[in-house]
Amino acid sequence: MSRQGAAPSKAPGPYARSSVYKGRSGQWAFVMHRITGFLVFFFLLLHIVDVSLINVHGGQTYNEVHRLYGNILLRLFEVGLLFGLVYHSLNGLRIVMIDFFPGAVKNQRNLTSVVLGLTVLATVIGGVIIVKPFFTGS
Amino acid sequence: MAARLQDRPAQAANRLGRRPRQNFETWSWFFMRVSGLILIFLALAHFSITHIVNDVTKTNTAFVSHRWNNPLWRVFDWALLALGLMHGVNGLRLITDDYVRAPAKRAATKAVLYGATFTLFAYGTLTIITYRSYH
Repeated sequence: MSRQGAAPSKAPGPYARSSVYKGRSGQWAFVMHRITGFLVFFFLLLHIVDVSLINVHGGQTYNEVHRLYGNILLRLFEVGLLFGLVYHSLNGLRIVMIDFFPGAVKNQRNLTSVVLGLTVLATVIGGVIIVKPFFTGS
Repeated sequence: MAARLQDRPAQAANRLGRRPRQNFETWSWFFMRVSGLILIFLALAHFSITHIVNDVTKTNTAFVSHRWNNPLWRVFDWALLALGLMHGVNGLRLITDDYVRAPAKRAATKAVLYGATFTLFAYGTLTIITYRSYH
């Protein structure tokens, strides 16, 4: 009987048989951190191009392209960007706290809830401010 | 025991009271923390100014012209550009290492990633530096 052969039956917990790591809130926080980071990075690439139009045709093209940002679809896209930015910021802060303060490790699950709660709150408040001018006219 | 310690130089160094060796990934980790903390301030301030305090339709050429007449705002925007791209490209480098396993595909993905990032960094820097007000 090798030690390796006996190991699987000893593994406790409901996820012992799975070959995929199924963490709880921390794993989802990690997945969301990656997705929001990825998306914000690609928005930054797009944003560099749209701002660079300011030096073309005396800024005419910039103004034309920029007027599109007032469109409802792009306003909703901006609310999504706000969500990604705030989530990535707050979860990043949580990661830094976990890296440097032992107390944060013990409370990491509560911290994940706080991050999510504050992100939703900021997105709803910011979202109303961003979307409202489309309906009221600015 | 001695042989096992040699297999794990980092742990062996720790037991001798020394810090583990600092390699590129250590500095990558440290950079992500420091740049991330600065970016929280830069990115959220930038988003608030262009979407919350001012409506996005107001951020036309006159708006940019007014802001970029002050060189400090150009420095602010360039810092956001540089740190954002470096933080982002390093994040995507880590994602690439995790999901793109085949060496050739990994090299190709990174070549595109680094190429696009460097090109847009140069382009963005040029935009900020060469802008002249028309207003």
